[in-house]
Amino acid sequence: MTLAEFFSCSLLAFGPPFAMFALTIANDPVRIIIMIAAAFGWLVSFLMSSLIWFAVSPLRSYLAFGMVFAIIMQEACRYGMYLLLRKTEAGLKEISENHEICSNKLEMAYVSGLGFGIMSGAFALINVLADSVGPGSVGLHGGTEYFFVTSAAMTLCMILLNTFWSVIFFNGLDNKNYAKIVWVIGSHFFVSGLSLLNKKELYVVTILPSYIILIITIVIAFKCAGGSSKGLIQSFTGRP
Amino acid sequence: MAYKNMMNLVYLYLMTIGIKVIRCERLREQMYSSIEGGAACFRRLNGTHQAGCSSSLNGEVGVVQMIYNISDAQWLVHNSSAGPYMAVVSTTLYYDIIEILLRYPDNIAGILLYDNATMSPNFFTQESQCPNEYSSDPRLGQCVKPGGIVWNEKGTGLLRRDIPYPIFFLPKARIGDITKIEECYNRYNLDKDNQRGRPLCSLQLNSFMYAAVNSVVCLRRSASSAFLSSNKVCDPLGDYNVYYSLFPRAKETGASKKTVTLVTARIDSASLFDGIAPGAASSVVGLVSNIATAATLAKMIPVTDAKLYDQNVLWTLFNGEAFDYIGSQRIAYDLSRGAWPPVSPLSPSDIRLHIELGQLGGSLQLFKDSASWPIYAYAPYSSQNATAPQILEFMGEMSSYSTLNNITVSPEFTTDIPPSSLHSFRQILRNVTESGSLLEILLADHKGTFTNKFYESALDDYENIGYVYHNISIDSEGIFIPTADLLANGTMKETEAQVKIANLATTLAHTLYQQMSGKPYTGSVKASAHLVDEMLYCFLRSQACRLLLAADYASNSDELPADRPLPLYVGVAAWPSPPAVYAGHLIALLTGNHLHVNRTDCDKNADTGFSYYWLRGWNHSGICIETTMNFSQAVSPAFIKPDYDLTSGEFSSWTESVWQTIWARVFVRASGAGARLAAVTGALATAVAAILTFWLQRHSALVFIDAPSSVSSDAAGIIRTVNC
Repeated sequence: MTLAEFFSCSLLAFGPPFAMFALTIANDPVRIIIMIAAAFGWLVSFLMSSLIWFAVSPLRSYLAFGMVFAIIMQEACRYGMYLLLRKTEAGLKEISENHEICSNKLEMAYVSGLGFGIMSGAFALINVLADSVGPGSVGLHGGTEYFFVTSAAMTLCMILLNTFWSVIFFNGLDNKNYAKIVWVIGSHFFVSGLSLLNKKELYVVTILPSYIILIITIVIAFKCAGGSSKGLIQSFTGRP
Repeated sequence: MAYKNMMNLVYLYLMTIGIKVIRCERLREQMYSSIEGGAACFRRLNGTHQAGCSSSLNGEVGVVQMIYNISDAQWLVHNSSAGPYMAVVSTTLYYDIIEILLRYPDNIAGILLYDNATMSPNFFTQESQCPNEYSSDPRLGQCVKPGGIVWNEKGTGLLRRDIPYPIFFLPKARIGDITKIEECYNRYNLDKDNQRGRPLCSLQLNSFMYAAVNSVVCLRRSASSAFLSSNKVCDPLGDYNVYYSLFPRAKETGASKKTVTLVTARIDSASLFDGIAPGAASSVVGLVSNIATAATLAKMIPVTDAKLYDQNVLWTLFNGEAFDYIGSQRIAYDLSRGAWPPVSPLSPSDIRLHIELGQLGGSLQLFKDSASWPIYAYAPYSSQNATAPQILEFMGEMSSYSTLNNITVSPEFTTDIPPSSLHSFRQILRNVTESGSLLEILLADHKGTFTNKFYESALDDYENIGYVYHNISIDSEGIFIPTADLLANGTMKETEAQVKIANLATTLAHTLYQQMSGKPYTGSVKASAHLVDEMLYCFLRSQACRLLLAADYASNSDELPADRPLPLYVGVAAWPSPPAVYAGHLIALLTGNHLHVNRTDCDKNADTGFSYYWLRGWNHSGICIETTMNFSQAVSPAFIKPDYDLTSGEFSSWTESVWQTIWARVFVRASGAGARLAAVTGALATAVAAILTFWLQRHSALVFIDAPSSVSSDAAGIIRTVNC
């Protein structure tokens, strides 16, 4: 029963990112390098925010404090990734065997966002997954056994959000469209802030708005990447 | 508390969104609650079988089922649907349901037994109905013989049976854990008909035992693995016997050799559970009576008078008697080959009388309102006529002294001798016991079936003999208040256990005096109920007691031993356990000569007749004790006799399994609904993501028509030149 929990929660959290990775990234070594670099970037932000958390010892028990600095650090590292990619883009394109790479300017934003998100998701869920192998489940001191599913669902949401936030963020910086950057940082704060409500065990209140934010973010990212709904519909109708 | 739990949840949730102020053990704490202070049933093995319990390597998991009555147990084994189950049973119900649970073990993952302070059982014993049946002398009745006496009537024999699942015991002090389990049970498990597919309160018991099959196999495995790795899987049971002679025997030569009267008792008790073996009525009362008698006789006959007597008394405390008489078998075996005591060994014919203080104390509660205490003196001979005159004489003297001391000693001439060390003497020293040159008497306070209904169990504690501590201080000279004074000033009552045990000790000491000197005792020395009070406190309530502190080595640190009763289980031979050491030191302190020398002089003494101990003494300033007390190994002859066949059953062949950890925890087991939901949504989400990604990639040219332009070709050109 509990091994099933472990595998199904892993599937829920990491199945969609894995599918995206397999179809879009795995076939190109340069993209893999960028993704790993982005994952490393997230780890750096992790290190810095934990240093801050550790240094400011009187505020350690206040979650909101740690949360604010963690978000700031993550966004700073996302900006760092942007700078890095924009500087190395030409070179990367050159050494790549696939010269079609970077035909879309936001392709690298998507790749690095996925790396960023997967690493944050891994760190978020791995301890929970380790405990999900059982034999027990949550519920002894209150709480429900759906804890693991909701954790996995939130992790998936955060992975996808990070992916598309990167797309919007890079595009906003490219076009000097600061509203997009405000959206990224603002929605990051909003979703994280929502999670503070979990102490009331109102999982729906957390997950539903988070996924609504995710959908909005996906739509914005789609637009940023130059996607058109008309084109999309055309691709379905098969019109030449 | 609730707030803290909520904070924990917040932490967990922050973790899920990538905020990293989290400590990973918090979720575990949410999920599991460990049950501390539980004692587990463990595995012992003899030459042919394994007995006791073991879990699987990771522990057994089962759904909690509180057993409140027999029908609960029947439902559990016959009608339950969400098994396996952990039965949570109180000691009151244990006897009625244990057979049901053992007969149908398929649906049972384990048992958690708890002692309920509000409802104590009338009987509780895991020893078999005929304790030590297979090492008893078949000619001495026992219940082997059809129509023989069933000694331990309510015995379930769990101590000797192979139990297919773990059993844990929670003492009274840990009843809070049962409340916790019960709360969880009431929240999740109450709807007994619809337990399938629901979250259920569950228990996990881990007590994995390394040894299996029998002693032969596990000792072979221990030996062979010493070559490959150093993993021992079992150890022989054993410890130390204690002996002390009234007069030093070491310098005796052939002509001056005094015959001895052997006065014995047992030290050890047992229980099914690790670390709990109080043994109040099973062994402590006999042990305390023995030491009190020795202390009294030592006061009546000073060592310096040795020349006036042609007899000696050898006091011996056997260890490991619960497991096929390890201690007495070893001494009888060593006697038969002239190897005990190591200095100046006895031959069996030197022993004129063997008096065993058997199981005493079981009837103290029955007679708690009366000043009397009936003692039965068993002589293992078919009738009074077949009994040697020395025994009749001893019994006559003893009963006349007993009437002076408010107890009654009734002779019992029967070949149905209760379980006691007499059985090993009669088995191993058959020629001397049968010919009547080694005469034997057993003193016990039950006639036929045991009066002790908690024989060798976890509940055989101070309450079983109705003991109440008086906490009277001991003066710095170690003088105990005489029983008569305590009775006169109303500190103690004649009905109390302490007084009765002191009376028994007085009776026996006076009888022994008359046996040795040939004349009645006219002096005024009597055993003190104050001393008995203190000794019972040491063995039944707390090791941190006045007597044991005074009897400890002065060199030991001042750190107090644990304030809880000592488990009297014999333990493994490789690891000496404290009861024998405590008993030996107590004898030394209470009977030895106190020399007024300092420590270095004390250590310099080298009289072969004595040993010298530098103990802490009554005022804790250190005291030099000259004593004949000594220890001898209590390891079964089976493990020292070369080429002994362990399966022969001639000697005790018990070994104890090695284990690494023992723990128990309670948690809620998932129904699987969460896993199913995650699997369905996970598969859906993955499929949708895959299809969408594939579609967008395939039609990217069509969909992303306004794609932002890529890097400028200038830069690419620069790099190309550099590269080429």
